[in-house]
Amino acid sequence: MTMKRPRILVVDDEPPLRELVVVTLGEAFLCDEVGDGDTALERLNENTYDLVMLDVMMPGTSGTDVLRKMRENDGLRDVPVVVMSAWQSPQDVARALEAGADRFLAKPFRIDELGSMVRGLVGRSE
Amino acid sequence: MNRLSLVARVVVLATAVAVVVGIVVASSLIAILSLRHAEERESQTQEVTTATLRVENAAVNLESALHGYTLTGNQLFVDLFNQAKNGAPNSFKRLESLLGDDPAQLKRARQARSFLDTYISDYAGPLIVIAGIDPQTARGQVSASEDRRYSRPVRQTLAKILKVEQQRSADRRGHAESVARNAIIVGSVGIVLCVGIVLLFGAWVARGVAAPVRRTSAAAARVAAGDFDVRVEQSGAGEVGGLVAAFNSMTRSLAHGREALLEQNALLRDSEEHKRDLITMVSHEIRTPLASVIGFTSLLLERDFPRDEERRYLEIIDQQARRLGGIAGDFLDVQLLEGRGLTLDLAPFDLVELTREQADLFFAHSSHSLDLDLPNTPVVVNGDRDRIAQVIGNLLSNAIKYSPPSAEVHVSLHAENGGVELAVADEGIGIPDDDKDRVFEKFYRVPDAAAGIGGTGLGLSVAREIVASHGGKIDLESEQSRGSVFRVRLPV
Repeated sequence: MTMKRPRILVVDDEPPLRELVVVTLGEAFLCDEVGDGDTALERLNENTYDLVMLDVMMPGTSGTDVLRKMRENDGLRDVPVVVMSAWQSPQDVARALEAGADRFLAKPFRIDELGSMVRGLVGRSE
Repeated sequence: MNRLSLVARVVVLATAVAVVVGIVVASSLIAILSLRHAEERESQTQEVTTATLRVENAAVNLESALHGYTLTGNQLFVDLFNQAKNGAPNSFKRLESLLGDDPAQLKRARQARSFLDTYISDYAGPLIVIAGIDPQTARGQVSASEDRRYSRPVRQTLAKILKVEQQRSADRRGHAESVARNAIIVGSVGIVLCVGIVLLFGAWVARGVAAPVRRTSAAAARVAAGDFDVRVEQSGAGEVGGLVAAFNSMTRSLAHGREALLEQNALLRDSEEHKRDLITMVSHEIRTPLASVIGFTSLLLERDFPRDEERRYLEIIDQQARRLGGIAGDFLDVQLLEGRGLTLDLAPFDLVELTREQADLFFAHSSHSLDLDLPNTPVVVNGDRDRIAQVIGNLLSNAIKYSPPSAEVHVSLHAENGGVELAVADEGIGIPDDDKDRVFEKFYRVPDAAAGIGGTGLGLSVAREIVASHGGKIDLESEQSRGSVFRVRLPV
């Protein structure tokens, strides 16, 4: 079993939620956590990620801004992104998908839903 | 003229027409009466003339009989003479009765009668007697000059009566004609005047009634189409002027009513929007901690974790559930404040100790650094310890929430005259001048701050009420992107 673990960046300003995502995904994934949009963009430029779990409402650079910048960047254009948000009106979902999200995960979410969504996206990209 | 009411105008017009018609009718009546009088006079004149001529005829018969007898001696002429002589008094009586109401004419008739009597007694009578005895002498006595001497006065007087009577009749006729002429003139002028008055009334109705009514009806059509700014020029008489004024005041109040409705509508819309925003905000505020609670609970139920990890997740669940409780508490507090007000559970406590306790609680899991400046001796305050803890907790969590990670938060407490001042200063995003008063309003959140940072907008409004109910005051000093200082002053 020398298969490389997929690397995931978890971006959320709420530490308990970051921890929830990391614990849920478990040992099968290598997770990095950041609490704001600017740090997220720095990490994305430093490392290669297989998936980004992105919160929308954060102080400073919002998740939507991070997503737009990723989609403008050649190196990051194809990295799958799951947007997670407690703002989940049809407009909020549409805005996220238009900005380039692959999936929208409404908070609160079921842990098995999170797991299958991540496995589906990472498996496809490989 | 324009102030005269419609009714008054109609009354004035009707009176004028009635007066003119009255004058016309009266003048016609006078003319008719005068003509009738002239006719009566005429017939009387004719009768007088007839009677006069009969008297004259009698005189002529007397004279002819006298001449006939003296010339022929025929007894037939004596009979004729006596017939004429006996008939004369009746003729005179008739004439005198006709002239009874005219003393001058009556006097003339009597004069004529006495002249005829004189003619008979002094001249004709004796000559008839003489002729019966001595026709020759009698013939010599009859002469033209003697004849004329006695008969002329009779003829002249009768002629005078006729002439005067005819003159009177002519005068009467002339007067009647002039009255009739005047009546015709008055009648014509009256008709013209009536027509003129009616035409004037028509013109006035057109100008004073029809025109304003037409303008008002056109304006009413515009009002019906929704244009409430229409005003009709104030004109028209009495009731019509009143109608125009009432119309204008109606449109004014319609316009006011619509404005008030629009304002109310806008308020309702605003409050509806506010309510929608509030619901969205609240559901978001609740979902975030709920996501942790549900997520970690599911993990604990479905997977096995080492004891210490299990404990850590339970702590997170506990912390997030408390956060949910806090949100619910904020809403309950606001409801409480809006309703009966706050009931305080007052007891002396040490504010220094409480401040340290709250600071430990909020900075234990925070990346922010804390600069705590507290007195060494207790500061005892009489108040509701839990409520004051709520205020301090709110200020500390705001300082952490609205300043960048690893920034410093300064908390200081010092006594001042008659009270104590607690200050919480951060190096955060600050509050724009326009929002400084509004941050204490319930549900209000500084727009930029609200983006990306959770909150219900209730904390500060609840804090202000709590401080105020302790007889204290809370205020703030802030500079945008430099930080804010919140100061709470409480009496000791």
